[in-house]
Amino acid sequence: MTRRSLAVLLLVLLAVPGVAIADTAPADAEKTASVRTFQLRHKDADKAAAMIKALMSAEGSVSIQPGTNSLVVTDRPENLKNIAAAMLAYDAPPQPVQLTVRLITAARVDPAAAAAVADDMKDVAGKLAMLRYNAFQSVGAANVEGREGEQGLVDIGNGYRAEFRFGEYDPATDSLRVTDFKLSRLQNEQLTQLMKTTLNLKVGQMTIMGAARDPESARALMVVFAAKR
Amino acid sequence: MISCDVFRKRFTRGTSDAGLLEHLRGCDLCLGPAVEIDPDAMFRSLGGEMTPPGGVDAFVGEVMRQVRLRNTETAIVPPRRLGWTRRAAVAATIAAATIAGLLVYQNNRPAVVQPRVARAVLAPEMTRPVIESYESQNATIVEMSAESASDVKIVMIFDESLPVDL
Repeated sequence: MTRRSLAVLLLVLLAVPGVAIADTAPADAEKTASVRTFQLRHKDADKAAAMIKALMSAEGSVSIQPGTNSLVVTDRPENLKNIAAAMLAYDAPPQPVQLTVRLITAARVDPAAAAAVADDMKDVAGKLAMLRYNAFQSVGAANVEGREGEQGLVDIGNGYRAEFRFGEYDPATDSLRVTDFKLSRLQNEQLTQLMKTTLNLKVGQMTIMGAARDPESARALMVVFAAKR
Repeated sequence: MISCDVFRKRFTRGTSDAGLLEHLRGCDLCLGPAVEIDPDAMFRSLGGEMTPPGGVDAFVGEVMRQVRLRNTETAIVPPRRLGWTRRAAVAATIAAATIAGLLVYQNNRPAVVQPRVARAVLAPEMTRPVIESYESQNATIVEMSAESASDVKIVMIFDESLPVDL
């Protein structure tokens, strides 16, 4: 064997591992993490971060940039594709929503003295009978339309006023968030706040929020909600 | 002291050899052959010259009978070994005690808790509480379950800070 052939053989032997490494390089590149920035226009970045965590791998990470309302996500490329699709669906413009609020006073009276339930309250009266309320009186009702994130203010009647903000619609639970729902009453030209709460209302389902001093109170105020999209 | 072989070779009737008589005092095995040769040898070895009641032959015969009887008793008493039934009973007792101990240990040790965190993380959140927050310090909130998604949902707030004339 000549020196030349030995040199060629040596070069071939040195080249084989290089080819093998070159062949595996694209596969490794697919597994390496990529970085992508998502800037949200309609929703808060911190809420979006919580939403995408379920889609991230164990090696992935996310950082919130409050100044630009954006997320910097580091993860595998295939995960970033799924996250991008979820972010696109999540960062949708505010959707129109509708909230109906009814106020009803409920009382526990002697059955013999209880008046007949009006037709417009029979849907509520039947459900509240199990709480031993048998006398009902409508205070008022109001229907408020708006978009996610907008504020709502409505005078219901008899001095009661409701103030709130439409929250986000959650497709996972099919519910609308109503934040800072404040119910106030005007008495002697002075508005007094009765309660302040944040609610999750299932769309299309009637929700009765009753308020009383204690379970044995003879009188309660029923706030009946119905959320629609 | 001389050996038994030497004693038996040298012992003769009426001997007064001190070494032989000393051996005779301390060796039961040589007593029988010696008495057969010379019944008075035992008394001479004790140092006495008296004649026992009933005569020497009767006394020696009784002594030899006692010696044989004791040897027979020693040979008859079996070594204290357990029979197969007792062995089986002991083995069964040990096995039962071991199994009972294992059962008690299994029942008393803390149960292995299956991790639920992963399932909770993976499962989508399908429901939320109706009242997410309520601004009051002394309120009790009772949420009643609806029969179905389309059924009326009722949640009651009991708050003593509410006015009486709601």
